[in-house]
Amino acid sequence: MTIWTPQDDGHADLSSHDTFANGAPHNTFARLRRDDPLHWTEYEGGKNFWSVTRYEDITQMNKQADLFSSARGIRMEDQSYEEYLARRTFQETDPPEHSKVRMKLLKAFSKTTMAQYEEDIRTLCAEILDQALAKGTFDATKEIARQLPMRMLGRVVGLPDADLPWLVEKGDALIANTDPDFTSHVLDKMQTDEYRMMPFNSPAGAELYVYAKELMAEKERKGDTSGVLNLILEPAKDGSTITETEFRNFFCLLVAAGNDTTRYSIAAGIQALCHQPELLDQMQTGGAVWETAADEIIRWATPALYFRRTATRDVEMHGKTIREGDKLLYWFISANRDESQFEDPFRVDLMRSPNRHLSFGQFGPHVCLGMWLARLEVTVLFQELAKRIKSIEPAGPQKFLRSNFVGGIKELPVKVEAI
Amino acid sequence: MKVTWKLPGGEAVTAQADYGQNLMEAAQANDVPGIVGECGGSLACATCHVHVAPEWTEICGEAGEFEDAMLDLVENKQDCSRLSCQIELAPQLDGLVVSVPAD
Repeated sequence: MTIWTPQDDGHADLSSHDTFANGAPHNTFARLRRDDPLHWTEYEGGKNFWSVTRYEDITQMNKQADLFSSARGIRMEDQSYEEYLARRTFQETDPPEHSKVRMKLLKAFSKTTMAQYEEDIRTLCAEILDQALAKGTFDATKEIARQLPMRMLGRVVGLPDADLPWLVEKGDALIANTDPDFTSHVLDKMQTDEYRMMPFNSPAGAELYVYAKELMAEKERKGDTSGVLNLILEPAKDGSTITETEFRNFFCLLVAAGNDTTRYSIAAGIQALCHQPELLDQMQTGGAVWETAADEIIRWATPALYFRRTATRDVEMHGKTIREGDKLLYWFISANRDESQFEDPFRVDLMRSPNRHLSFGQFGPHVCLGMWLARLEVTVLFQELAKRIKSIEPAGPQKFLRSNFVGGIKELPVKVEAI
Repeated sequence: MKVTWKLPGGEAVTAQADYGQNLMEAAQANDVPGIVGECGGSLACATCHVHVAPEWTEICGEAGEFEDAMLDLVENKQDCSRLSCQIELAPQLDGLVVSVPAD
């Protein structure tokens, strides 16, 4: 059974957030992969850009960080140099500068460190699921998918539980800054440039900054130096430290990026369960399926639809000339449905192996720092869900986020029969 | 050229590799379990860790400074530890033997 059928006519406007409010335009991506893999995309809100849609191209280009740089912005929107400086994190730097900051955090986010959270995650999942499933019919994004990453963020970063709903609301306002359900300052409809120096061009960035400063002051008062926030303040091997602005931006990045991506992976997994009933059977059989299930769910979800790079010199590709300064969007969502890499890409196959999807931006220096945590959260959540339900089915139309940057099902009504 | 990966379970994979590839790419091309290589060789993930067999350590050379710092993050770091993305395959490495550490 088909999980979901794309709605676009094959010629959707990839620069338009409205396009993605109906789900990703996969007919358009399929056509571009076939006929125009390096597509010059018109963009009303700024400079036009190249859309890169094939798996093979994206993996090759992502390795070449010197040629396709992150240091001039990573989203479609153009930024002035001063805006870039004010808003950047280590996401917007290239090696070796990028690597210096990343090194400080790698241990905290490594597979081994994350594995220590497994029992914590399981306990949280049990709480969340028991509460949600008792309702019978509910919005799975709100009641399940949103809950787990939010509460794990608190554990990993060291934040009080009571602050988490507020923080996640602000995080959503940052990263879903093109969806009116999540922010009153919709990025492409904003009449003010008041927030252009704030993270994500959003007033929520300013509020999170105040929060982070108070949090750190409180920690210092108590002599508490634990957690990832302190790690990033440590000097690098060469003695360099990050600036206050960079710290603020890093905090916003943690709150925003650590949250919605895992949320939308879980939501997409639940969506798949609703439409491919054999998946629940497989999960209930257990065993080897758990070695591969999370990656397949995350491939299916692809919450980070694209990341942008900028060419640092002229380069020829597919008979076209990419000019220095041209923006390129690596459409991970398209690469993850590329027929030449994935057999039957629109089917969720929990045993898919190898599964070299690009949801974490693999094969480049910016590969997701939180990927082990994400995989673990997804695995444990579905293990616990499968233990508790006999069946799950849709209970109304799903709604997608209005964003061409973050792909997610923001409302997913489901009806479950508990065991 | 040929490379052999000894796996934690005691089995081994011997496969053909190409000069100019690095050892991580060769492992991926042959689906060697345990060599993930998430960052594509940009020294950002430490998921392609191998132990180089004693007779090959000298020819492979030592880890660079940055690579060594990355290796501090892995379990089972030993003197013969390398990130396989940093080993360029060349004729003098024909017959190379490495083992994939258990994680």
